[in-house]
Amino acid sequence: MSLSERAFTNMHDFLKKNSGISVQKDKMYLLESRLNPLVRKHGISSLEKLVDMVCSDQTSAFAHEVIDCMTTNETLFFRDSYPFNALREIVFPELMAMPSANIRNIKIWSAASSRGQEAYSIAMTALDVLPGADKQVKILATDLSPPAVEYAKGGIYSQFEVQRGMPIQELVKHFKQLGDSSWQVNDKLRGMLSFNVANLISDNVIHTVRHHSEFDVVFCRNVLIYFEVEERRKVIDRIAKVMRPGAYLFTGNGERVEGENSKWEAVNYNKRPFWKMLSAR
Amino acid sequence: MSNKILVVDDAKVVRVSLGKIMKKLGFEIFEAEDGAVALEQMKSHPDIAIIMLDWNMPVMNGYDFLVALRAQPKHATLPYVVMVTTETGMPSMLKALAGGANEYIMKPFSESIIRDKLEILGIEEPR
Ligand SMILES: C[S@@+](CC[C@H](N)C(=O)[O-])C[C@H]1O[C@@H](n2cnc3c(N)ncnc32)[C@H](O)[C@@H]1O
Ligand SMILES: [Mg+2]
Repeated sequence: MSLSERAFTNMHDFLKKNSGISVQKDKMYLLESRLNPLVRKHGISSLEKLVDMVCSDQTSAFAHEVIDCMTTNETLFFRDSYPFNALREIVFPELMAMPSANIRNIKIWSAASSRGQEAYSIAMTALDVLPGADKQVKILATDLSPPAVEYAKGGIYSQFEVQRGMPIQELVKHFKQLGDSSWQVNDKLRGMLSFNVANLISDNVIHTVRHHSEFDVVFCRNVLIYFEVEERRKVIDRIAKVMRPGAYLFTGNGERVEGENSKWEAVNYNKRPFWKMLSAR
Repeated sequence: MSNKILVVDDAKVVRVSLGKIMKKLGFEIFEAEDGAVALEQMKSHPDIAIIMLDWNMPVMNGYDFLVALRAQPKHATLPYVVMVTTETGMPSMLKALAGGANEYIMKPFSESIIRDKLEILGIEEPR
């Protein structure tokens, strides 16, 4: 089933308004291939009808399901490895050398955490290098997708997922094996994380995460690419509002910071940049 | 580091499919159907850089091969040994790691998992 011009425009606007994701005309096939399964699953008469349903009630559970279908949830443990090595070698040592290091918590936000692999990888990295990290490091994992956040909360991963990106030494150290060839994160790791649904393109996100602020480190990886440039700027500025000056931001490989009001300094780790926030607000 | 890789598995289909993936990544493939043949291969090609190693095999199993290999001073730390096995229990993993394995893949494997594990070991794909 294919989409009329009008339905495409409506769907495009709906997605952009609710998730920030901008689907270009040449990605029409993507809309169709991802939404047709939903048409069949819910026994809807046509793709056009699906678009009408979603647009007439944009906050329904069904609308959420459609957004979830259109966002790419793919992720893996220790993705690209360099951010975690940079935490280990640069960021954590610097945080531990600060005068207040032994009294305050280290706060980290994984801002598009998908099914949680990124946040748990941060936690494993912290436990590997900081004695007492389970008490001192607090990680907030948020995502637009409620099912992804629920999945992260459960901390149970398939045999396939635990093999993607994760060194075997981390698996045997931080996971327990469940009967059905799935694996669950240990309580120690789980206890370092908290979870929330949060939409980066809404100003509400600041309130949702603020009680955890100010963050020392933020990961916002492999989500900025789906936004257009003005949206990216706004998202970066929102994130900057909940970071302390001097804090670090990790973007996806190839994603750069484009904030209007915040100033950033690129720090290079093995020729890949991450960002130190110089000033904000 | 050489581009040579030794695939050790008693099942020919596994040797073929693993070999195919590794060949695509640019490696030169050597094969063995059990641990004893693998030891011979290591004697003829001591510069093999990676061994993908099944556990359950006749004649000499993967674990016994691993221990025999690491007992040789020149192979105490290299080549890298990646277990590729249906032994998916935590105790087997701990045993293999203590025996000198560097990585562990639970079957069924996939190309994405293999590439991730190579990256973890810091091995660049030749191609
Ligand atoms: C490709 S995953 C990236 C996961 C992880 N950060 C990584 O790098 O592997 C993209 C995630 O962004 C989430 N996402 C998309 N739009 C979002 C928005 N407006 N606010 C928050 N999360 C969003 C999706 O639900 C998805 O889980
Ligand atoms: Mg076998």
